Amino acid sequence: MTVAEAPAAVVRFSVDGLPVEYRGPGGRRLLDVLRVDLGLTGAKEGCGEGECGLCSVLLDGLLVDSCLVPIAQVDRRTVRTIEGLLRAEPAERLAARSISGDGQVGLAAEPGSVERLGRLQAAFLEAGAVQCGFCTPAMVLAGQAFLEARASRGERTVPAEDAVREAIAGTLCRCTGYVRIVEAIRAAAPLSAEAAVPPDPAAAALRPRLVEAGSGRRPAPPVRTAASLDEALALVADGWRPLAGGTDLLVALAADATVPEPLVDLSRLAELRGIGLERDGAGGDILVIGALTTYAELRGSPLVAERLPALAEMAAAVGAVQVQARGTIGGNVATASPAGDSLPVLLATDAELVLVGPSGQRVVPAASFFTAYRCTALAPDELLLRLRVPLPPGRHVRFRKVGTRRAQAISKVVLALAWREEAGRWRDVRVALGSVAPTPLRAPRTEALLDGRGPSPEVADLAAATVVDEITPIDDVRSTAAYRRLVSGRILRRLILHAS
Amino acid sequence: MVLRRAAPGADGAAVQRPPAGQAGTAVGRAVPRSDGPAKVTGRARYTDDLVVPGAWYGATLRSTEPHARLLAVERDPDFEWSAVVVLTAADVPGDNVVELMADDQPVLAADVIRHVAEPVALVAAPDPGLARAALRHLRLRTEPLPAVLDPLASEVAFARYEFGRGDVEAALASADLVVEASYRTGYQEQLYLEPQAMLAVPDTDGGGATVTGSLQCTYYVHAALARALGLPRDRLVVVQAETGGGFGGKEEFPSGVAVHAALLALRCGRPVRLVYERHEDLVATTKRHPAFVRHRTGVTRDGRLVAQDVEVVLDAGAYETLSRVVLSRGAIHAAGPYRCPNVRVRARTMRTNTPPNGAMRGFGAPQVEFAAELQVERVAEALRLSPAELRRRWAYRVGDVTPTGQVLRQSVAAVPVLERALEASAYEAARGRSAASRAARKEVTASPIAHGVGLALGWHGAGFTGRGEARLASVAGVALTAEGAIHVLTASTEIGQGARTVLPLLVAEALGLPSGAVTMPAQDTARVPDSGPTVASRTTMVVGGLLVVAARRLRAEVEARTGQPFAASYRADAASHGPTRVEERFGGYPHIEWDDERHVGDAYPCFSWACDVAEVDVDLDTGAVEVRRMTSVADAGRLVHPLLAAGQVEGGTLQGVGWATLEELTRDEGRLRQDRLATYLVPTALDAPPIETHFVEEPFGDAPHGAKGLGELPMDLAAPAVVAAIHDATGVWVDELPATPERVLAALEGARVEAGRAAR
Repeated sequence: MTVAEAPAAVVRFSVDGLPVEYRGPGGRRLLDVLRVDLGLTGAKEGCGEGECGLCSVLLDGLLVDSCLVPIAQVDRRTVRTIEGLLRAEPAERLAARSISGDGQVGLAAEPGSVERLGRLQAAFLEAGAVQCGFCTPAMVLAGQAFLEARASRGERTVPAEDAVREAIAGTLCRCTGYVRIVEAIRAAAPLSAEAAVPPDPAAAALRPRLVEAGSGRRPAPPVRTAASLDEALALVADGWRPLAGGTDLLVALAADATVPEPLVDLSRLAELRGIGLERDGAGGDILVIGALTTYAELRGSPLVAERLPALAEMAAAVGAVQVQARGTIGGNVATASPAGDSLPVLLATDAELVLVGPSGQRVVPAASFFTAYRCTALAPDELLLRLRVPLPPGRHVRFRKVGTRRAQAISKVVLALAWREEAGRWRDVRVALGSVAPTPLRAPRTEALLDGRGPSPEVADLAAATVVDEITPIDDVRSTAAYRRLVSGRILRRLILHAS
Repeated sequence: MVLRRAAPGADGAAVQRPPAGQAGTAVGRAVPRSDGPAKVTGRARYTDDLVVPGAWYGATLRSTEPHARLLAVERDPDFEWSAVVVLTAADVPGDNVVELMADDQPVLAADVIRHVAEPVALVAAPDPGLARAALRHLRLRTEPLPAVLDPLASEVAFARYEFGRGDVEAALASADLVVEASYRTGYQEQLYLEPQAMLAVPDTDGGGATVTGSLQCTYYVHAALARALGLPRDRLVVVQAETGGGFGGKEEFPSGVAVHAALLALRCGRPVRLVYERHEDLVATTKRHPAFVRHRTGVTRDGRLVAQDVEVVLDAGAYETLSRVVLSRGAIHAAGPYRCPNVRVRARTMRTNTPPNGAMRGFGAPQVEFAAELQVERVAEALRLSPAELRRRWAYRVGDVTPTGQVLRQSVAAVPVLERALEASAYEAARGRSAASRAARKEVTASPIAHGVGLALGWHGAGFTGRGEARLASVAGVALTAEGAIHVLTASTEIGQGARTVLPLLVAEALGLPSGAVTMPAQDTARVPDSGPTVASRTTMVVGGLLVVAARRLRAEVEARTGQPFAASYRADAASHGPTRVEERFGGYPHIEWDDERHVGDAYPCFSWACDVAEVDVDLDTGAVEVRRMTSVADAGRLVHPLLAAGQVEGGTLQGVGWATLEELTRDEGRLRQDRLATYLVPTALDAPPIETHFVEEPFGDAPHGAKGLGELPMDLAAPAVVAAIHDATGVWVDELPATPERVLAALEGARVEAGRAAR
């Protein structure tokens, strides 16, 4: 099927408890559907590329940047916006409410009524967490998502300040210094789940509001949601570009003014999901991770936490909550940016990538997957299915990212170190780095130097001196070659010293 | 809502108020923000949220060269031009000038392009995609001209000032010790989160327009529209929409955006929406002026300050905008808040072929105060004195004389804010801890994290410089409507700082009414008088003062008519007598003498004072600086709304921390390299330290309510405090902002090499 033949997508979803049916390009941003097509302007556009978080909404309860969500991926899902964040309302009132074209939902009739505010909204006002207000809807939703998730885990304490800061780190505020926002969110805890718009039986009976795509600031490519792996492979073979979490792809589309390529949405393919254990032929454990596994899932997985904590640590260092909720490890691998945070971990752990194409599956070691700047061993008609990470007993893995800031940061240097210890000596040493060459890479000379030695300060210094000769960093807008070189050696040295 | 009046050292804002007899009135208590409910529910409408059926989308074609002769704007013959509207300089009906101080900046470049991202042509189309496509099919035919990109190499100054007291050269020659150093500060983007946005709706007869937008200064926009459109002012209306932050970035820049939108709307005969995307906003809009500052400071062996020689150079960019007054404020603050008998300040702002720099919170003061405060730290180190003790000795007291010859007659709180900050932060104890941590760092396996604490003391002149306020002659008023409502009439805009809460609060207090009884209608030039721009930390002090006087007059008038207290009688008075409107025009504060040419006299009616203490961790492996805690003590006179005031301090402090550590903008042949939010980095909640705010209240006696300016003050001192803390942690000076990990590590490496050389 060519792009011209691609039919307009029909996407049915709910917004704040009310059904909506959208017709138009599947690649239209959820942000545009909310703001332009539905008139819900509480979500703001601050950058259009997932950096500021001002367009945040809740998608099936998770905080996401709506500028990075193609509407096709919202099919059969629930969206909650600031406009819907009211105290639970009786079903008949909810049903009587409509989402009108001018976005006047519910509250409009009673301006200034603090009584009708949700608990967190009231806390924002009381704490003085609002100034210009442009980030406020997103901040309130970030707090809401965080507090509801805690409530659902049964946590009823006042959250730690750092946890709140992490929960809002993907949403910028330029007015407040964050002090009072953090205070407001802490003051609203615990926030019971009833504070959310309840699933409403009356709403299910409503006829959906029909909307068509209006104007948009960004080109909206057609999107086909693949129902099966075979369908996905057929479309990929036809030149459709695979879409997973969209956190890289939609940013790239935004920067490209030309007619966008059609996308094949992989998000419904069960084969690409899940985290599990397998046994290899020799009886060793292998951690198997579906390509669509998000960073949030990696962070939340008890299996990963137990067997490969460095991977969870890596996931926690990517972007902030919104990107972690949507970005996938498969996307990170296939995009193959030299700055991809997961890639040094995969290289250091001898991970294998399972690819699937028209003629079946094949397995490629991570070490031979990244062939040149943003080029991989993946053929044009292949998809990345899953990752297999061997878990040899006694192996240690360490991860360190030096980013541009403490959240929403792209790495200047990222490093993973792995080894097994035998009688005080290191064996099977792996040193892998990112952001220091056109591809993520291993440092074989440094590995050889460390192999068979113990982690002494002298060895650490030698390794640091060696690794800087194995990398070819450049000056770019994020850092300098000299800095990357110096810091690569230093963080390797520090990891070795800490291990001793 | 409870404001913690915590003892020093407790977390959160500790607001101490004098026991003055304010009980029973609204001022000083935290009434809720009037715009709060709309903002927390998403109902607040910013410009791009406004639905206007049939509106077209505007777009701007910008230059890609720093300096060139513009020969033609060429249209691709294969594009369907009939579907869009294209305008160039030839289509500007009035003067091709963005009205401001100098008439040097064109609405659209006509013959010469003077900086990258200069607007050259405008497009409007029914669909944003089509507007974008049209831009792609326009081409600029140009002939390159040599570009001047370095302000120190530029030969064209937009303004120069030289002033001072005593004999600096003689005093330097006889000083026991002269400390000399140079400092550089980089650009800073205001990064208001709502990008520039304007919506222009033409009148049906095409002879006027209403422009609604994101802006700080309705009357600046109004004047610019009249000038460029060649239309009478009474046919133009400017309305402020809800505005998502300004920080100076919506002071003068929106005038040009508004003119562009209105030109397109009048040509199309339909509404036109002109909303920048972030990328365009970053590359095209004004920034904080990069600065070069050189200090020579003479002291005696026992620590007396005898001479200060300061040279300031600001990079203005291609057009003057507000550079003349930014430089003036920078020069006046350049020596810091310190008593010195011999001072010379030489300052200039230079033209370069880069986008013009403009207003940003602090307005020239943060750059010079960064340099002045690090200079004090250097002198303290040279004298082996505590930086706190040195400041304690040098800081201004009442009766001291500033470099412009201004005698500080009242409201001088330099020492009180200093002492309060030292106490609240336990500064001297923290310095002791960093010394201990430096000593413990000899071990090879020691932690790479070094702790440090830094101090900065500063001042900020409140309101416009010199005769600026008197020249503006702002008008603000209070209206009792026929329906018995009370309206604040002012052009002062709500940009997040809380004007729409604070100004009604002041009026309510003066009228003896509860705070909710007074409202502030939309900032619409058809309805409100020109109370001047919402800039220069002047709104609460100057406009608030006018409103208090106007309200007192209204109260007296109504009480004289009714013979009863205002609160009990104003509704009946409105019903029987009809509406009453009282306006008050600013007539100048007493005792202000100022010579603008020579920069001599009373530069400001009063100053606000602040002291910041920063605690940092420096990772010696990576050079990364983590600001662990900020203690910020401010004096802005009597506080009208302590909660909003604390919000100003916290937000300004974090902007200072960002500028100090993270926010870097550089150019390559005049082109901005950090042109996206993925590369221009501002602090996230995880980068932001806890900020502990304290207030000292030294009222300003010549304002009816005792308030001084606050908005900009918190921007001035975070950066020098952070960099002083980096020095305390590491022993190295970082004399250029921002103190990025790259810069810190380079300084550490430099020191290591030096130490190695010395050892040989």
